[in-house]
Amino acid sequence: MATGLTPNLRTDRIFECPSFVYNEVYQVDGQPRPHWLKFLHALKTAAPSEFARRNGQADRMLRENGVNYHSATDSGEGARPWRLDLLPMLMTAADWSQIELGLSQRARLLNLLIADIYGPRTLIDDGTLPPEVLYANPEFLRPFCDIRRPDLSPMFFYAAELARSVDGQWWVMAYRAEAPAVPGFALENRIVSSRSMPSAFKQIQVERLAPFFARLQNSVRRRVPRPTDSPRIVLLSSGSAHPYYFEDVYLARYLGYTMVEGGDLAVRNDVVFMKTLSGLVQVDIVMARCAESGLDPLELGGYAAHGVPGLLNAMRAGNVTIANTPGCGIVGAPVFMAFLPQLCQRLLGEPLMMPSISTWWCGDPISFQHVVSRAADLVLKPAFQKSGGEELIIGEMSPEQREKTLARVRAEPYAWIAQEKVARSGIPVWSESGIRCGHAAVRAFLVEDENAWHLMPGGLIRVAPDTGPMQLSVAAGEGSKDLWVLADRKVDPVSLLTPRDLPAELRRTSALFPSRVADNLFWLGRSLDRCDFLSRLVRALADRLIGESNVDLTEIRFLARALSEMGQLEPGFVVDGMESQLPSLAEALPIAVYDPNEYGGLARTVKDLTRLASLVRDWISPDTWHRINVTAESFRASPVKEWHDLADVVSSTNSLIGDLASVSGLISDGMNRGPSWRFLELGRSIERAGATARMLISAELKRGPVSPALLKTMVEILDVRMTYRFRYRENLQRNAVLDLAITDDTNPRSLAYQIDRLVSHVDRLPGYEARPLRSEEMRLVMEAAHAVRMLTAEDLSASTPRNVLVALKTVDDSMTKLSDTLTNKYLVHSGVPRQFTDNSGGTP
Amino acid sequence: MKYRVTHKTTYDGHETVSIGHNQAWLEFRSIDRQQVESFRLTIEPEPSIRTRRVDAFGNPVQVFSFNEGYQRLDVISTTIVTVRDSEFPRTATTTAWEEVAAALRRKDTPQDRDALEFAFPSHRITSSKAMKEYAIESFKPGRPVIEAVEELTRRIHADFVFDSRATTVNTPVQEVFRLRRGVCQDFAHLQIAMLRSLGIPARYISGYLRTIPPEGQPRLVGADASHAWLSVYCGNGAWLDVDPTNDTFCSTDHITLAWGRDYSDVPPLTGVFVGGGQHRLLVSVDVMPLP
Repeated sequence: MATGLTPNLRTDRIFECPSFVYNEVYQVDGQPRPHWLKFLHALKTAAPSEFARRNGQADRMLRENGVNYHSATDSGEGARPWRLDLLPMLMTAADWSQIELGLSQRARLLNLLIADIYGPRTLIDDGTLPPEVLYANPEFLRPFCDIRRPDLSPMFFYAAELARSVDGQWWVMAYRAEAPAVPGFALENRIVSSRSMPSAFKQIQVERLAPFFARLQNSVRRRVPRPTDSPRIVLLSSGSAHPYYFEDVYLARYLGYTMVEGGDLAVRNDVVFMKTLSGLVQVDIVMARCAESGLDPLELGGYAAHGVPGLLNAMRAGNVTIANTPGCGIVGAPVFMAFLPQLCQRLLGEPLMMPSISTWWCGDPISFQHVVSRAADLVLKPAFQKSGGEELIIGEMSPEQREKTLARVRAEPYAWIAQEKVARSGIPVWSESGIRCGHAAVRAFLVEDENAWHLMPGGLIRVAPDTGPMQLSVAAGEGSKDLWVLADRKVDPVSLLTPRDLPAELRRTSALFPSRVADNLFWLGRSLDRCDFLSRLVRALADRLIGESNVDLTEIRFLARALSEMGQLEPGFVVDGMESQLPSLAEALPIAVYDPNEYGGLARTVKDLTRLASLVRDWISPDTWHRINVTAESFRASPVKEWHDLADVVSSTNSLIGDLASVSGLISDGMNRGPSWRFLELGRSIERAGATARMLISAELKRGPVSPALLKTMVEILDVRMTYRFRYRENLQRNAVLDLAITDDTNPRSLAYQIDRLVSHVDRLPGYEARPLRSEEMRLVMEAAHAVRMLTAEDLSASTPRNVLVALKTVDDSMTKLSDTLTNKYLVHSGVPRQFTDNSGGTP
Repeated sequence: MKYRVTHKTTYDGHETVSIGHNQAWLEFRSIDRQQVESFRLTIEPEPSIRTRRVDAFGNPVQVFSFNEGYQRLDVISTTIVTVRDSEFPRTATTTAWEEVAAALRRKDTPQDRDALEFAFPSHRITSSKAMKEYAIESFKPGRPVIEAVEELTRRIHADFVFDSRATTVNTPVQEVFRLRRGVCQDFAHLQIAMLRSLGIPARYISGYLRTIPPEGQPRLVGADASHAWLSVYCGNGAWLDVDPTNDTFCSTDHITLAWGRDYSDVPPLTGVFVGGGQHRLLVSVDVMPLP
């Protein structure tokens, strides 16, 4: 170590922390801890402004990657961005391996405990565990009693929450064996921080995370229930409404597993299948990232989105592995922490190496007395709640509250535990106003592979603003940090993104394309196009309503009619003699456009866009996802709610049309031409053809000659001004406009063009090749194609273009039917599962 | 007493059910006082797969599922069973009720430990202070458990009205207590809740009851129904069956199917299905005494 630096580093302490907590950086004598020296030196070298800039960059990177712990919900709010402070927490490899020893022992112990709980329950017989701990525990789920595979330990992966007290001792605050959350957040933190860190830090040797994930993959693969070279592994997510949805997407992508929700899986003859566009594909391993109590509605009840009826029987039959084995979750209940020392002696014959935070079970009268006498120093918690739940801090209560709380505990003492409080250690936290002290909650992850447990060399640090108790949710606290485990040897500088020892698993996207995803992409395509079309109509109308002079009523009537057809305006505006309606229309339009509750309106469609995009985030490029988000964000943010007027509408729709074009560009340039693209395009073309046909119908061609102004509007909506002027100059003729709109297959906005594309998409739908006769959907597309293709030049120029109207009606109808047919055939493989129970308990 | 018990459930859907997974607690568990001569479960249409397992409480469970669609499903179980009269557990007549709870705490015998599984609140059964107060009137200090239970059973029968329209399968036991109305399942849940509140384990029994037609009238085939009662732990591994709906100890008229902590552990037939639209569920039970 460069000793010359030391005095300097000591006098310029980067932060101060209270004396009653352990200072992670400085010793009691004020000297930096040796393992921080290199880092402190680098920190001094990097200019503060540089560090601030880099922190901002990291924030932006996280935002753009859509990292959050509440995916875009319906309201578009709820999503809270992930926050990362670039200053890491440092640990030496030696300290970390001590923790690994302790947590590995705990893992072995928990596995034996789980096996006994869902097996012979000898621990109750011999009194090591009081019966209430299981029998009064609502999380002790009887259907899990006979699903264990004897050749596998039930738990192979878990997470522990650690804190360091003032004497330097590490304590296990909690642990989780059910869908252990957040290694994905830790990984994302590492990737972002390694990209953003100023170069001064690059020479610090930090253990890489990639080998840990390779182990995880290895361990999962070893659990395959049948001999196969390429086991099919899915990651079962709780869905986009779940706070950790981002992490599900992230992990699935990183590990190369297909992400599914309950509805994507089906059990047939005790075998688990995934519903894909090309049929059912057998699944070998389900990595469950969801509450185990909802896994199988048949046996466990409930209607959880991730539930798969029959899943437990498939597991009993040995046809699928669920990892971790359902039932592991129970040991995460804090009540077990009160018994771990005894359990360790009894099950492993050795003392517990790493202590849990001192825990008393109120169901034991002596412990309860102790709890009452020390109540002010303790935290009361529900004994059986796995994810922490309520935390009652007696010391902060008024005497009445305190009595009330203790009465609650007395009524059901076995359902409560009390825990000591720990003042977490102090770490430097970056903020705009300088470095200050935060308190570290360390989340560590372990995986079992080849009969040994391995601790991830790194972890997630959550920062608590004070030393009080902190909830377990990753959302709690002020932000996060990366944990660097300093290597005592040279570490390969291999990037995490393409780890050398983690070859990409080759995927056949088409075979593993879930129907649900196809469904959502189809509707995403429809919404994209609807949004564009609607914007053009709205812009044209707003434009004409602003223009004081030369308002041609037929134009306005046409636009209002087209918009009311689409649900954006009340039909009441479209009446003969519209003149008197104009002021109210000018007032109503902006309100309708920005009202997200106006079904069929622009704001609603934009909202749908983000919702649908969030559901298929795993299947569209990050750039596309990002672009859609930005588009929706700027539309939402445009005018102040109460004050928008027609000018705002014009400017919003202008930028919306531009933004949507760049989304389209990303899709057409970048999206792989697989089934996901095809379903998106099907949606777009169906929407475009249908909307164009309906718009032309709204022009009321039957009413006689069409005014030049109206023709001009149609040309504008169809976005063919350039082509028109090029071909016909300013000579606006109805037949020429109709040709461009309907029959000209060189114009990408025409019906003929869109329908041609539909023919080619439908022709390539999965399972289409082998059919002897044309399918229903093909017949519908051909009906539309036929109607358009059979139109003659005379039909277009006839004074009452009856045949044109018939063709438009045919296109409109067949698009509606085509959408339904595709949905029924490919997209909705099943409805919502329901339950029935024979309730015949009624005899005298 | 020998019976032929037929339990027929018909699911009649408006549209086709495309996929269905089912579990049935329709096979009699084997117990001392009952001997099953034959059991047959007929399912129409034939399911794609059928298996049998034993649940965590020792009850046999029939598991079956369908991959092909159906509009109508018939599940018919036919059992020939002989039921012997059981003696009252001797401990019940001598042991004070507090001693049952105390022995349980001490876990004197392995059977005590097993009984503990039925001593705490369960999914459908939670008790309240008011219920405990209601029950304690019959549980005077030192009273033998059988006397106390007998009186509580009689009081429930007297104070509560049998009313098949007052409750549904989902009515919470607290609500039954407030309404003072319900059906056999409700009364069983209620008495279990009261006993557990006193620290006495009690389990829910799903089964059948022989019905005796009024004098001079023929026995109506298929007019019976499933029945439910409870079993009270009396210490030393002895359980005593009581029927609060009929204010009686259980005899050869009561035929035991399965037991659990409450109804949700042992519904006769349960399933998850997709499709089907509106549907009707028809149940008919016939308990026919055989010579």
